[in-house]
Amino acid sequence: MTRREWILGAAAAGVAPSLRAAGAAPALPVALARCRAYDATVLANLRKIFDQLGGIGSLVAGKTVAIKINMTGSLRARTGYRPAWNTRWSHPVVIGAAVHLIGEAGARRIRILEGSTEDDHPLEENFFIGGWDPADLLGAAPHVEMENTGCLGSGKEYKRLDVAGGGLIYSAFDVNHSYTECDVMVSLAKLKEHEQTGLSLSLRNMVGIAPGAVYGDSAGYDQPAVRPYGALTMFHTGNRQPPEGTPPEKDPKSPRELGYRVPRITVDLVKARPVDLAILDGIETQTAGSGASLEDGAPRHMRLINPGILLAGRNAVCADAVAAAAMGFNPLASRGTAPFETCDSTLELAEQAGIGARDLQKIEVIGARIADVRTAFR
Amino acid sequence: MPELIPFRWPALWTDGAKLDLLKGTPINCIAAEAPPPFSLGGLPFVKLDKDRPPEGVTLQDGVWPRVLAATRKDAAGGGATGSAWVDSNASLVRLAKLRDPGKIVWLTYTPPDGKEVVPLDSFVKPITEAEAFGAHWIIALDTFFAGQIDKRDEKALGQWQRMMAALRLTAARREQRAWEPVASLAVASTFEGDDKLLSEEFLNLAPRRHLAYRALRAADIATASFTRQKAVLYLENTPPQGAVLARLLEFAQAGGLLIVPLGTVQSPPEERRSEHTVRRAGKGRIAMPLDKWEDPFTLVDQVHVLLSHREDPVQVWNGPDMDTYYVAGPNEGQAVAHLIPYASGATLPITLSFRQTYRRARLVTLDRQTTVQPTRGPLGTEIAVPEFTDYAAVELEA
Repeated sequence: MTRREWILGAAAAGVAPSLRAAGAAPALPVALARCRAYDATVLANLRKIFDQLGGIGSLVAGKTVAIKINMTGSLRARTGYRPAWNTRWSHPVVIGAAVHLIGEAGARRIRILEGSTEDDHPLEENFFIGGWDPADLLGAAPHVEMENTGCLGSGKEYKRLDVAGGGLIYSAFDVNHSYTECDVMVSLAKLKEHEQTGLSLSLRNMVGIAPGAVYGDSAGYDQPAVRPYGALTMFHTGNRQPPEGTPPEKDPKSPRELGYRVPRITVDLVKARPVDLAILDGIETQTAGSGASLEDGAPRHMRLINPGILLAGRNAVCADAVAAAAMGFNPLASRGTAPFETCDSTLELAEQAGIGARDLQKIEVIGARIADVRTAFR
Repeated sequence: MPELIPFRWPALWTDGAKLDLLKGTPINCIAAEAPPPFSLGGLPFVKLDKDRPPEGVTLQDGVWPRVLAATRKDAAGGGATGSAWVDSNASLVRLAKLRDPGKIVWLTYTPPDGKEVVPLDSFVKPITEAEAFGAHWIIALDTFFAGQIDKRDEKALGQWQRMMAALRLTAARREQRAWEPVASLAVASTFEGDDKLLSEEFLNLAPRRHLAYRALRAADIATASFTRQKAVLYLENTPPQGAVLARLLEFAQAGGLLIVPLGTVQSPPEERRSEHTVRRAGKGRIAMPLDKWEDPFTLVDQVHVLLSHREDPVQVWNGPDMDTYYVAGPNEGQAVAHLIPYASGATLPITLSFRQTYRRARLVTLDRQTTVQPTRGPLGTEIAVPEFTDYAAVELEA
């Protein structure tokens, strides 16, 4: 039996393969590739990455696949002249490659999903506003759709996702129907830091499945807003509860501190809608995350960088741990240590919740070596 | 006779000594409700009377152009859905020109008074805004500014020179004033009656959503050409009739998107989109609202989605409070995009993306004129515009 056959067999049997001793949290392989530009090499590299993971056919064939991309923040903002695709959003070339390969592997339907903090436009419109023709992605495979999940979208009501194990902050979330009407969940995120939670990788990307119309600043007290607008402040500060009828926090007396709350809510969301495949776009990005500036002397200075990497894994925690290491951070770091100076480590909490291992000693990295592709973000 | 460039004589200046200030500047007349009590040394005086405006001029009140700051500690000046509220004269000028074609618009507003301190460097924007849209602001200094000029204050004199530079800049490009807006959307209305507020506010708020438009009077629809438009919005809550309806339906049949009030057509809809029902009509489509139109800001957004941002002739990044007035010459090979930022201070680096291909571009600001190299972006020709204050124009050649 080859290693690929063994992984495929284990995945098909629903057994989390532990390549090394993993304790309670599963440790799945992560494939890492050098990929220097948003060109044709992206498709070739991602194909190789999927092959290195044992292929994705058994995961997606005949299934409805949801791909949660990252288009966070203002649609009309660029970092200097650099488009957001190259700095803080999942790049369309990577999305297109993933869509193509998932379609090629036999997916029945592929939904590209992202919310909005600005509007209830169809997601296709937000691609145009961001500066990209969505036809490139809709045509990358058969049966591809898009939906703005910050609101009801094409659904008639919000659907409830219970948090497995009861949750740390919330026991359940109300989300756009696309997150319950899918068989496979893909988190396709950018390799980037986050001002308040240290890292914004495939786990943090899942915070965006919470609709702004329900959890954002525009949400009503008696019912969700029609249109999402503003940040998810109730997640950040706990200043209020969701609209009536939406599951509230378990303990409104728990700490109201962002650095305590958001990592836990992230874990809750991933427990509610587990990630089956994590893909990290680290070809081009920016350091320091949102709230930073390119200007010299800024309190939080940002650099535009080209780490030139692409990675993926079947376990989001493992994938994020490898990504963190590729960014020059210790994935075993706890609060008080970079990049988690002012917050709890989402990786640590996710590991404690049994989602996945973050210890690189337990994670097999296939393809490029971390040491060879590492780009220090600080 | 040269075009009149008006200046409102400050009340603080009680004699003609300051007339020297105007020498060598584009200002060539004094305009006010009553003449100053001294000789103007040959400068013509123009009496401002709304009922009897100067020949060839239409007088409009206007507002001090700016992003409205918070007036209370707990309430920032906000527009619909939380974006900053912009006080702009763009739609006022464009509508005035529509109503009185051939006349030049003079904006008569004066600087905010009362306790508000108006920064000296905010006096350039009223000029650049008006001139960009082909109008003149009757330049008016407040008491502080006039007093600082009296004292020969360096900063005040510097700002005065900058204001005059803004006038010279646009005077040299006066032929561009006849150029037509490049827009996929035509907005047709009487701009009168019950729907006056709705239609006027639609035009006022469209730039906040970066929705370019060409405005026309409902009375002109029957003979209008829409060859440059992909959609026509008939912005009345009463359905069009007769020759107007026939022309609009002809536009839809030929492939356009026609957005009309509830009750205009009876054919069954095929889909629902953006709070409108949509049905096929020949090669085109007809959209009607689910309910009577009421909120202009929401309607701007709905119309933009119905039309699709795919049809935006120009897109702008990093200019949230900026108007982009994009006009083209008769052969469309020449065009200019006027950039009017309403926030104070320098802009961020701006990126523009034009659907049309341009091979040459020149950036014109109050400080410099430089050649810029267009690049090919995913959706069209991209132009990088470095930080600027008050005004910039990108002059384009296909």
